[in-house]
Amino acid sequence: MKVVIKSWTSVASWRWIANDDNCGICRMPFDGCCTDCKMPGDDCPLVWGQCSHCFHIHCIMKWLNSQQVHQLCPMCRQEWKFKE
Amino acid sequence: MANIAVQRIKREFKEVVRSEEVAKCAIKVELVNDNYTELKGEISGPPDTPYEGGNFVLEIKVPETYPFNPPKVKFMTKIWHPNISSVTGAICLDILKDQWAAAMTLRTVLLSLQALLSAAEPDDPQDAVVARQFKENPDIFWLTAKHWSHAYAGAPKSYPEFDAKIKRLVDIGVDEHRARVALSSYNWDLEKATESIFS
Repeated sequence: MKVVIKSWTSVASWRWIANDDNCGICRMPFDGCCTDCKMPGDDCPLVWGQCSHCFHIHCIMKWLNSQQVHQLCPMCRQEWKFKE
Repeated sequence: MANIAVQRIKREFKEVVRSEEVAKCAIKVELVNDNYTELKGEISGPPDTPYEGGNFVLEIKVPETYPFNPPKVKFMTKIWHPNISSVTGAICLDILKDQWAAAMTLRTVLLSLQALLSAAEPDDPQDAVVARQFKENPDIFWLTAKHWSHAYAGAPKSYPEFDAKIKRLVDIGVDEHRARVALSSYNWDLEKATESIFS
């Protein structure tokens, strides 16, 4: 079945308030989701480090898990600590 | 290859193509195969270095685990530099090893390599022969690096005396590259170079 959308009315919109447009790890827009996810939003949230850099949670977790010794922010290489 | 690696390389590829460095002809990337696992990079030799005027080709292999691990990069163009093997083109640069970070990109890697050409680290060498010359005979190092840039990277011609010495060895049947390596390694001492080839 093929559906043609003739018009649509939005009732709400949202966007992340991040200090950048794209995730520095996967390079996808923050308003989209990481390459493993389908739906942006709560399924693919953003997280912030104490250094103020921000990533998709899935991306930063993969990065931290790939680091054997120190867990550093991929942007500024300060020790990565999640912002409360 | 993992989705994230392909997606990212595709985006980065566009990013490099659009970058101002490409407009200035300082860096370049090309695809080698269709699945984005192998690329060909190119950097121009920075001004005020013995590499000025040369174009240096790089082999870039993107691992399955990119960007969580660095791309594997080596020089395909032969080069005389303390941190690059004159034999294999292997590069000693921290960001391509343990100092890699996922936020780095093809563009930043190429620019870092260009910076490495401007600022060698002889105390952390990849090629010990070159590094020793760099420290002990900086003038000869400069001329030798310039000579290699002309011979392999298309930089302007420099020091005819070196060409004459290479020709002496070629005339007695030595392969040109082998002659160049021997002479470069022995600070262009024809006698010592000849001895090293025939010993």
